[in-house]
Amino acid sequence: MKNSIRLLSTTSVSVIAAVLLGTSAQAETELTFVWHAGTCADALVEIAKDYPDKSVKLVPALVPYGPEWHNKIASEFAIQGDGFDFAMWDSQSTAEFAGGGHAVKLNDIFASSELLSAELFPAASISQYGEYPDNSGNFYGLPMNQDAYGMMYRRDLFEDPAEMAAFQEKYGRELAVPQTYQEAKEVAEFFTRPDEGLYGWGQMGGREYDFATTASNSFLWSFGGELYNPETYEVQGYLNSPASIDGVQAYVDMFNFAPPGSGSWGFDEVNAAFQQGQLAMAMQWFYFNGSNADPSVNKFAEGTAFGILPGAVGRDGMFRRQFSVGGQGMGINKYSKKLPELTAFMEWYFQPEQQKRYAAVCQTGLKAVLESDDWQGLNSYNAQFSTALQYLNDYWHLPQYPVLLDQLQEEISNAITGTKSVEEALTDAAKRHERTLERAGYEITRSDSTPEVPDQEITPVGTKEIIAVN
Amino acid sequence: MTVTDQSQNSTPTRRSSAATGRKKSSGRLMIFGFLSPTLLILIFMVAYPIISLISYSFYNFSALNPHEGYKWVGLDNYTYLLSDKALWQRFIFTGKFVFVCVSLQMVIGIFVGYQLQKKFKGRDVIFTLLMMPMMLSPVVVGFLWRYMLNSEWGVVNYLISSLGLEKVLWLSQATPALFAAAAADTWMWTPFIILLATAAFRGIPETIYEAAEVDGASPAYKFFRLTLPMSAPVLFIALILRLIDSFKQYDLFFALTGGGPGSSTETVSFAVAKTAFNYFYTGEASALAVILLFIIIGLSMILVRHLNKMGEKY
Repeated sequence: MKNSIRLLSTTSVSVIAAVLLGTSAQAETELTFVWHAGTCADALVEIAKDYPDKSVKLVPALVPYGPEWHNKIASEFAIQGDGFDFAMWDSQSTAEFAGGGHAVKLNDIFASSELLSAELFPAASISQYGEYPDNSGNFYGLPMNQDAYGMMYRRDLFEDPAEMAAFQEKYGRELAVPQTYQEAKEVAEFFTRPDEGLYGWGQMGGREYDFATTASNSFLWSFGGELYNPETYEVQGYLNSPASIDGVQAYVDMFNFAPPGSGSWGFDEVNAAFQQGQLAMAMQWFYFNGSNADPSVNKFAEGTAFGILPGAVGRDGMFRRQFSVGGQGMGINKYSKKLPELTAFMEWYFQPEQQKRYAAVCQTGLKAVLESDDWQGLNSYNAQFSTALQYLNDYWHLPQYPVLLDQLQEEISNAITGTKSVEEALTDAAKRHERTLERAGYEITRSDSTPEVPDQEITPVGTKEIIAVN
Repeated sequence: MTVTDQSQNSTPTRRSSAATGRKKSSGRLMIFGFLSPTLLILIFMVAYPIISLISYSFYNFSALNPHEGYKWVGLDNYTYLLSDKALWQRFIFTGKFVFVCVSLQMVIGIFVGYQLQKKFKGRDVIFTLLMMPMMLSPVVVGFLWRYMLNSEWGVVNYLISSLGLEKVLWLSQATPALFAAAAADTWMWTPFIILLATAAFRGIPETIYEAAEVDGASPAYKFFRLTLPMSAPVLFIALILRLIDSFKQYDLFFALTGGGPGSSTETVSFAVAKTAFNYFYTGEASALAVILLFIIIGLSMILVRHLNKMGEKY
């Protein structure tokens, strides 16, 4: 009898505890976010574990980098669902999601919050990652993870006396990290030794998502080309201008010094080839520098150095250095029912203490951290990253971004495989882009003539002298 | 009298016809009652989406931006698509892909299935192992083959170069990419043909082979004149299923080639998915899906009719 009573009471206590625990579990607020899987998403989850309000739990809904990442967010917006509360999306997608009315306008949060404001972030960053329309002062995203196209190279090869002497003899100048793509071509050619399994250059050229476009754009802009005229919406004469063709041709030519088949590579393949010692230099996002600097991942990590991408001397004699902005802004789902909890989390997360932890592995957008004395020394590439920020360029802050991107991807891929010449590919891309813009209701105003070097007309950059940065 | 007689005679007839009518109507009611849940599900799950799809195809709108409105465009989406050279290229590529991989799958599947109907030690283990690729997700297969076909460090090129042959750029050239995709699809789906072929072959009575043996039939004669004709209906079903499935292949290409290089490995289904969920051109994507739907229905009807004829013959 005693045992029965003890069993009964134990069971009752267990049931009550289970009910109470169940109730408290139900009371827990889950903030779900969508991002592509990787170091930075892991860092966010890790930091969030220390969020003081233990009733709030961060739930990652991670997808691989690529179109399914965009499509997951877009599909949820299309059904006006609250399957996630916030998401990290590409800067170019802000136009699509904010323009579609699916993202929360952050100005309202800035107005009511004592801790969050646009001033926490560099003006250029918050504009790049969250402003729509351009220069409107309306923000839909915070610079969650800044990124830039960069370069990594084998310092051990560049500093090898035998290599230095051989290069000097062959090219009549010192072996150095290239400042222009013209120099990069020579250095890449020098290190291309298929018999030794070594190639001079690695870059992305894959058909998926933005692999070929972000890489080729860096060449196109540096040679003075442009994708379109944002005032008149003309694409023909800009995307296929002589300067744009020069740039994309230089990009395509670099595959001659890259491993065979690299025309279909994404960032994974570039990383793998570099980590296996197949590449002397590679174009890669700063995002991956953390793993490429890690000796447990990259067996050449100790001999690896990180730098800034070269520029180019265009046909007008001007030197330009411009490359693609990467990274993502953090936007809020308008259909989320947890805005107060999310705002409180953001107020905590965008504090220097948390952002310093984040900046040790990824690139923060918080001004207080970026301007702190110790930030540049947090790892071996932050110093270059801070320099790289001034050369960033972005493209198509238009809701039609996914269509324009896919069309350019297809045509650049055609140029890489040789199915079309660079000029044919860019001309076809320009025609398709104009058709897409017209279909979306943009009125294209035709100019009497289009410039040979479009950059001279559209936000001109460039110097007469080559400015060395590496 | 005549009238009385007639009335007397007609009463039971009327009664019986009324009873038959009641029986018929209650029978119909019962049939309708039994069928109605299925019909409702069919209407809700099949008819409604198809009708919606067809109606969407006459509009220009985006599911992502419904506030931009629904613009009636009539047949514009169809005329735009059917006049687009790129779409025809996708149809041609899809046709090539279907032809190459279904042919390979049928030939290999029937051959292996024929061998597996024979009794030998370890047959069941081999059979089980052969079924494994079919159990994987097409996306996983795509990524797996993507790594295997990597031009520099993929195992396929490693084997090719160890034979002293030149490495092949499998995924960065259009023609090799087609064969790479066909190889991956064949690896994954040949087991399905093996499964059905083995089942069909094992269903043929042993006595028929014994009789043929007595008549002195050669193994080739037995295979081509007995085994194949007698298992033709099952093999034909396998062919229909593979044709339809290959025709709408999307996920394998998504993971393996991303539709590239250029757009050389974009199937029609790939184009539908891209237009619907990347571009969010919902009206245009609906029109493309309707075109694809009618092609698949047409193809299925032809093949099913042929299958029925075959059923009557055997």
